[in-house]
Amino acid sequence: MARAGGITNAVNVGIAVQADWENREFISHISLNVRRLFDFLVQFEATTKSKLASLNEKLDVLDRRLEQLEVQVANASANPSLFAT
Amino acid sequence: MAVPIEEAIAALSTFSLEDDQPEVQGPGVWVSSQRSATQSPIEYTDVAAYRLSLSEDTKALNHLNALTHDGKEMASVLYTYRSCVKALPQLPDSMKQSQADLYLETYQVLDLEMSRLREIQRWQASASSKLAADMQRFSRPERRINGPTISHLWSMLKLLDVLVQLDHLKNAKASIPNDFSWYKRTFTQVSGQWQDTDSMREELDDLQIFLSTRWAILLNLHVEMFRVNNVEDILQALIVFAVESLELDFSLLFPERHTLLRLLPVLVVLVTSSDKDSESLYKRVKVNRLINIFKNDAVIPAFPDLHLSPAAILKELSTYFPKFSSQTRLLTLPAPHELPSREAQEYQRHYLIVNHIGAIRAEHDDFTIRYASAMNQLLLLKSTDGSDVDWSKEVKGNMYDMIVEGFQLLSRWTTRVWEQCAWKFSRPCKDASPSFSDYEKVVRYNYSAEERRALVELMSYIKSVGSMMQRCDTLVADALWETIHAEVQDFVQNTLATMLRTTFRKKKDLSRILSDMRTLSADWMANTSKSESELQSSQHGGEESKANIFYPRAVAPTAAQVHCLQFLIYEVVSGGNLRRPGGLFGNSGSEIPVNDLKQLETFFYKLGFFLHILDYSVTVATLTDLGFLWFREFYLESSRVIQFPIECSLPWMLVECVLESPKSGLLESVLMPFDIYNDSAQQALVLLKQRFLYDEIEAEVDHCFDIFVSKLCETIFTYYKSWAASELLDPSFLFASDDAEKYAVQPMRFNMLLKMTRVKLLGRMINLRSLITERMNKVFRENIEFLFDRFECQDLCAIVELDKLLGVLRHSHELISRDLSVDSFSLMLNEMQENISLVSFSSRLASQIWSEMQGDFLPNFILCNTTQRFIRSSKAVPVQKPSIPSAKASFYCGTQDLTSAHQSFARLHSGFFGLPHMFSIVRILGSRSLPWLIRALLDHISNKITSLEPMITGLQESLPKSIGLLPFDGGVTGCVRLVKEHLNWETKSELKSEVLHGIKEIGSVLYWMGLLDIVMRETDTMSFMQTAPWLGFLPGADGQILTSPDGGDSPVVSLFKSTAAAMLSYPGCPSPTSFQIMSKQAEAADLLYKANLNTGSVLEYALAFTSAALDKYCSKWSAAPKTGFIDITISKDFYRIYSGLQIGYLEESAQVASNSHERLGDSVAWGACTIIYLLGQQFHFELFDFSYQILNIAEVEAASSVQTHKNSNFAVQGWETLLEGMKKARRLNNHVFSMLKARCPLEEKTACAIKQSGAPLHRIKFDNTVSAFETLPQKGS
Repeated sequence: MARAGGITNAVNVGIAVQADWENREFISHISLNVRRLFDFLVQFEATTKSKLASLNEKLDVLDRRLEQLEVQVANASANPSLFAT
Repeated sequence: MAVPIEEAIAALSTFSLEDDQPEVQGPGVWVSSQRSATQSPIEYTDVAAYRLSLSEDTKALNHLNALTHDGKEMASVLYTYRSCVKALPQLPDSMKQSQADLYLETYQVLDLEMSRLREIQRWQASASSKLAADMQRFSRPERRINGPTISHLWSMLKLLDVLVQLDHLKNAKASIPNDFSWYKRTFTQVSGQWQDTDSMREELDDLQIFLSTRWAILLNLHVEMFRVNNVEDILQALIVFAVESLELDFSLLFPERHTLLRLLPVLVVLVTSSDKDSESLYKRVKVNRLINIFKNDAVIPAFPDLHLSPAAILKELSTYFPKFSSQTRLLTLPAPHELPSREAQEYQRHYLIVNHIGAIRAEHDDFTIRYASAMNQLLLLKSTDGSDVDWSKEVKGNMYDMIVEGFQLLSRWTTRVWEQCAWKFSRPCKDASPSFSDYEKVVRYNYSAEERRALVELMSYIKSVGSMMQRCDTLVADALWETIHAEVQDFVQNTLATMLRTTFRKKKDLSRILSDMRTLSADWMANTSKSESELQSSQHGGEESKANIFYPRAVAPTAAQVHCLQFLIYEVVSGGNLRRPGGLFGNSGSEIPVNDLKQLETFFYKLGFFLHILDYSVTVATLTDLGFLWFREFYLESSRVIQFPIECSLPWMLVECVLESPKSGLLESVLMPFDIYNDSAQQALVLLKQRFLYDEIEAEVDHCFDIFVSKLCETIFTYYKSWAASELLDPSFLFASDDAEKYAVQPMRFNMLLKMTRVKLLGRMINLRSLITERMNKVFRENIEFLFDRFECQDLCAIVELDKLLGVLRHSHELISRDLSVDSFSLMLNEMQENISLVSFSSRLASQIWSEMQGDFLPNFILCNTTQRFIRSSKAVPVQKPSIPSAKASFYCGTQDLTSAHQSFARLHSGFFGLPHMFSIVRILGSRSLPWLIRALLDHISNKITSLEPMITGLQESLPKSIGLLPFDGGVTGCVRLVKEHLNWETKSELKSEVLHGIKEIGSVLYWMGLLDIVMRETDTMSFMQTAPWLGFLPGADGQILTSPDGGDSPVVSLFKSTAAAMLSYPGCPSPTSFQIMSKQAEAADLLYKANLNTGSVLEYALAFTSAALDKYCSKWSAAPKTGFIDITISKDFYRIYSGLQIGYLEESAQVASNSHERLGDSVAWGACTIIYLLGQQFHFELFDFSYQILNIAEVEAASSVQTHKNSNFAVQGWETLLEGMKKARRLNNHVFSMLKARCPLEEKTACAIKQSGAPLHRIKFDNTVSAFETLPQKGS
């Protein structure tokens, strides 16, 4: 019965495997760093979004405040006689 | 030269990416750079490079994988199949002639669906034959090709699983044969005109048989397999492999485990139904082991809403496979619904998460702490350069262990969810009413509140650990690779070397396999401790005993390497013989010593797990995927509805459960159930590839999220309301209260949720915080509106309650503003008061108070001078009011208890109007609307006086020309008669009472002003105390205000001035102008506050106004004596009229006990005395008033009767009550006069005015005309 195994050209395979390890070290290094870049971008987006959100919130508050002031002023300037001394 | 990658990437980490978002959701973003290792990466093309003669095996393996891939798509088609027939329209009678068209259309629609089914039929036939052929090929005893490898075994199992799943789906979906029969009918209708339909018909018959036969696929597979009689070997090998993997349960994640569990019964049936000796299986695997496995997992999750049970499968298959029916031991296993209750209880205990949640919690806490510490160590390691090799290895190894543990934990937890789900499906709720649908029985009413909470908790553990691991994917990746690399190298370079030297030295073929293992995976160059030559020698089994030390290389073995290594180990232990008795590693008859076998086994299973770790993010995604909790295709079909209402939807039930029990501390997990939707949407799009499912999920999510936000806001609002209300409760009340706990509010943590600006929902980012803010702004306004509405439905006394409730609202606004930027309260209040405009001085509340005073308070309330209160007269006509609107407790004080506590306080003030009410009015109206109200009231006085004038003239006319002093000799009785003769007003009783009422209203207004004056004094004093030190005022010895002696600027101005000067002289000052501005502002504030100090008195102002209003009538009401002397008989003066009115009503009240007094109260005296005083008739009145005179006479009479000692009190007998009333009136009048003298000295008619800004002018000389009071804002402007 034939046993399994028996790499036909063990030495060549061994050399190829060794070369493969080294090549793959380079590849995984690159791919990992690309992924890190990606991660950074994702995180950057998230942070930016939440900063924008807080800015937006402040603007909202200011907006409403301004609206109120505008109404007040518009109302007052519609009756200039009130301010005539 | 470009910057090295390392440095560039490291530079990125200097960016501040802090973001105060709490992590309360599951992982969201997946970035995966490689095809996953567990799913045949690049089709194992690189296996050939290792020259292991595995090309046949690899080819077959890829073939099977491709089939599995197709089969999964078929399964998703079947699972999501929805009946088309149900949607077919019915033709009305009028359109019967177009029946043929309808058939054609129907045919075309159904044909598309049926072609898919046909495709499935064809596919399964070819897949079965290919699987059978594959098995036969690789299980020949006289094997000529290498294989099957372990991955190959897995591929067989997976394809088999898909085939069996298809069978299950086909059996369970009733709508498919249904649709098919309709299709056939339309076909016969349509195909009438077609030619050559025989082949189509045949095909249809074929398909019909396939669809209507249960287990058609499995039976077909069985036939295909046993064409040649040697597949038992490989089937047995598969069973052995499955049983051993299940028993070891180390390298299996739950999807694989469930696959094995699902297949095992089918495999057993297939093996035992062969023609050969069916008992041979039990020689290799004892039947007890099988029964144990089947018993341990009584229900196996297969599809989201369909579970399987080994016992049921075995039973059902026994009718189709007659040979198997002799296996009585396996057939007597009870199916889950047949379990005796005691056993069912045991299973229940095992399956319900709620029974394990304590242990899970502990596991979670322990794991997260250790994980975080491992993570910190790793970061520390990365930040120190030139670190110790051993330490680095230890830290990385530790991280690796944590990741492995994490995967296993996640797998275990998710299994629990799956299994509980399957268990619940298998045991529907028993005490359900028959009206419930099936789905409601298994889901909606099948989870108790506690179970739901446990599920949410477990889910949030799964999701949070998942996102924790997901987040550090790229951080740990190289550490993991390095550790795996080291493990592999350690095994092939050290362990194998030892084995080669010792055990396998003599065994040529085995040692060849071992050295092949080394060849294909050893990384010699990473080995620094040896030179090249030594390497060579060690490769050939050198004698060094020292273990190798490796240079760490952050590269993991490829999937092909793992594949080959596993294959070789399998070859070593099994000898390439499928028929070998015993298990994989467990046989004692092997030539390999136990110790080595153990090492090989451990490494074998470790290799299996490496793949999961290399697939890091895919593994995390699979393990945390809870999307199955949403799917319900089987139940939709059996219930014949398009979709269930969201109350039946498990994710929504969980959200609701968290919101409804906010005290259970799960609030921060409330967003977790939405991850189920995220997952299920992902599954619908990526796995099932069905757009309509996604649409349904999206619709449900939209709906749910809306409800969720509104419910959440309600909870938040209620919580803050009750918090504020409980803080505002009187502490002494709380101290005295027996059950003060019920007023305490348990703190809840909303601030995490309030920070969420990015809620991930179906790929969208939702700003939850802004949604909440929006709703809060709205609900605060609604609440104010409600309080105003409520006040408008009550009388003026409710102002205290309004003030109180507004106070609670204001305080809760203050509390919520700490976490959320809501609109400012005063803005909202102004908006609801409708006085945003700069030039509007009235407001909704002010006009309400005014109309309330005019319509109800002044006519119907009477004054009690002693208590300083107005109360509603019992004789008053009740005023019609709209009914009080009711609202939920959150619009009052949050909880019911707090509301009743506050209301009982408010009730104390609901029966009268006094100082507390005045305080509330001043607080609510403020300096803006108060002048408007004062003006309105003063106008009311002047109007009243004007309307009184003709009536008084009327009364004057009926008086005699002159009235002298009352004669003493008539005694009391005579005098009273005489007075009556003078006052012949019998015909004018209405006029009389109207005049009295008019005077009463004037008096009420004046007294009201008096109260207002007191309150204003108090508030002014308060603000004076606060501002005085800043303005530099000192109280003088006589109570006068002095300015501070040093003169010049006030302290606040000089403080800011000196600061500004100091800052300006300092050269580094960033913005000197702002300090200048500040100092200018200080001056402005100084001016404003100083002006405010000289407050005048409202009462004095009102008196001056009244006096001015009276001036017009002076001539009519007080005739100047022509002679220049006081004319004592004059009868037309006002005091005479009042004198008459007073004695009249005193008499009336003496006759009918306190009748008219109850209608008029003490304010008549206030009104009349003020008019008399202002007309300068005080002394006349005191001298000539009828009642005073009568009192004098009564005194004299009493004195004389005491002197004569006879018939004492005879003369005054019968008049006691009247006299008593007169005395009271005199006392009251004296009181009023003395007050008036103090507040409004007549010698100089001065008044103070109030400027439009609210600042009064103090004691200026004043022309007494009404027009002088135009400085107050007009009512109605």
